[in-house]
Parts: sequence; C-alpha cells; structure tokens
Amino acid sequence: MRFSIYRYNPEADAAPTMQTMELADADITPDMMLLDALRLLKAQDESFTFRHSCGEGVCGSDAVNINGRNGLACITPVVDLAQPITIRPLPGMPVIRDLVVDLSQFYHQYRAIKPYLVVHDPEPEVEYLQTPQQRDKLDGLYECVLCGCCSTACPSFWWNPDKFRGPAALLQAYRFIADSRDQATAERLDALEGPYRLFRCHTVMNCVDVCPKGLNPTKAIGQIKKIMLKHLI
Amino acid sequence: MSWRAHGSRAWLMQRISAVYLAGYIVMFSVHLLLDAPTSYHAWRAWMGLPFIAVVTSLFFIMLLVHAWVGLRDVIMDYVHPAVVRFLLLTLVALGLFALGLWVLRILMLTPLSNAVGAA
Repeated sequence: MRFSIYRYNPEADAAPTMQTMELADADITPDMMLLDALRLLKAQDESFTFRHSCGEGVCGSDAVNINGRNGLACITPVVDLAQPITIRPLPGMPVIRDLVVDLSQFYHQYRAIKPYLVVHDPEPEVEYLQTPQQRDKLDGLYECVLCGCCSTACPSFWWNPDKFRGPAALLQAYRFIADSRDQATAERLDALEGPYRLFRCHTVMNCVDVCPKGLNPTKAIGQIKKIMLKHLI
Repeated sequence: MSWRAHGSRAWLMQRISAVYLAGYIVMFSVHLLLDAPTSYHAWRAWMGLPFIAVVTSLFFIMLLVHAWVGLRDVIMDYVHPAVVRFLLLTLVALGLFALGLWVLRILMLTPLSNAVGAA
C-alpha cells in the first residue's frame, strides 16, 4: 500500500516535501484504520510526527487531510482509500511539524463564543432541570469533539481566521443559545453581530461534508440567523 | 442599533432584495412572453404606466442594494489590508451610486418625454 506523506520540519527544512512511503500488503488487515497505518509508517521512520490519542473518534486529536478531504485517521478505514493515499496536515493552519498544526486560532475562536452556561439568576439549590424536549434540542450540537475538520475545510475561515468564528465555534455558539438553562441569549447574539464573526459564512457547506461526527454546522448557523432575525424585527 | 448590526441587516437586505428581484424578473419575462411590445412607442408607453414605473424604479433600487451587499462580501472576504478595503468599498459605493443616478435619469425622462410626445 502506497502513501504520499507531507513532511515538514520548519526548523530544518526550507520547504515542505511529499515523502513516498510504503506498507507491505501483508501488514494490511481489512478492518485497519488509517491511524494504524500511520503508526506502522512511524515505526519505519521515527521522525514522522502526528497527533493521536484515543484512537476511536472521541478525542479529535488525529484530524488530518486524507486524499484532499479532512477526517479523523482513527475512524477512516484504510482499504477504502485511493492510492497513493495522500496525507497532509489540516489546511490553512500553521504547521509545527509534519501533520501537527498549531490550532491556537481555532481555540481562540472557540473560547470567544463563551462555551459554557451563563446564568444570571441565583444558583438553584438542586440541579439545573430540563425537560426531555429541551434536552433534545442539544442533540446534533453537543457531540462535537473540536477536531477542527470543519473550520479548516471552510474557505471563509481560510480567508479570515482572525475575524470569522468558523463552523466549529458557531455550532457551539448555537449549542448554548439553544440550551434552555442558558440566560445569555441576547448577549450571545450581540457578540456574533457585525459583518465578520457570523456573517462571513456563505453556506459553502464544506463543514457538513467533512464532519466526522455527522454534525451540521451550516444548519446551526442558519438557526442563529433565524433567531437574530426575530430579535431584529 | 450599533455599527456591528451591519452583519444581520446587510444579510436581511440581501434576502429581501433577492426575493424582489426574482419576482420582478418573473413578471417582466411573463409580460415579454405574453404581450411583447411591438414597437418602440408601445415599449415606452408600457414603461410609462405608473405601476410599471414604480415597480421598475424599485427593481433598480433593489438591484443596487443587492449588488452592494454582494460586492461588499467579496471585498471583505478577499481584501485584507484595511486601507485598500476601504478604498475599494468607496469605489464600489460611488460606482453604484453613479449607476443609480443614471437609471434615475432614464426613468425620469421616460414619462416626461411621453408627456412631451403626447403634446
């Protein structure tokens, strides 16, 4: 099985290169995930660097660009991929080493939407209660693992990563707007106003296309716009 | 409403103008298909009808609004130095304003010259 792997060490290399690597067919099993293959490749060349942790699509560490499409290596079956399997780091992010990118800007945009419940009332004596219907509104929102596949596939995030919140952060913004326990909807909407933070989204829908968890940030952005409209008129 | 509201307001104006433009184009096309003016004078007479004059004027206002939001989006997406962006946005605004004045002149002259022609 042939691979073409992005290699770059900014401290030593003048420019990134694509390295051809190979695994013997005997090493490939039918249920093998791409992450397993990357591990075998790392055994061949220990300088090859990538992030990974849980290995089952829960932590979101091993998001990479696989044959031109962002995804999690640990839940991508390797036998389904066209060869040579081209692996690059997430697009548009500064490369630290090989497939490891600096996601500071991505996390900055996530923190900016205040990803936690804001409650103005005195804290209740018991738990914050929710009806099952209120809880259902969070389905399709809370499952995000912040892998960064969506935001780094978004052209608007490529052009304005400093000003546009990006699909991942906006999905979470809606997750807290939709939460019946949160009391800061007006502040949240106000914080997303302006031409850049929310409205750089042009409904390209790359985010929906690549999300490894099958979530729909475009729909969440549409919901935020709808709620804004209600507050506007 | 603060300056930051120019996100949702621009977005709303883009949607409203899009709906109007689509409606006008359908109305205009249906008229051309069913009752196309056969001469220059018939054409001018149709354009001079008060209802048609009003909806046509509104069409051009909506067209300019729609073009402004769209071009502003393109410039905001791709032009990052603030000075260049400001200059380009100013140029686009002036250009669209000039087009608006030109359209206004044409539309104002139609009923006027119709009146002159009738006299």
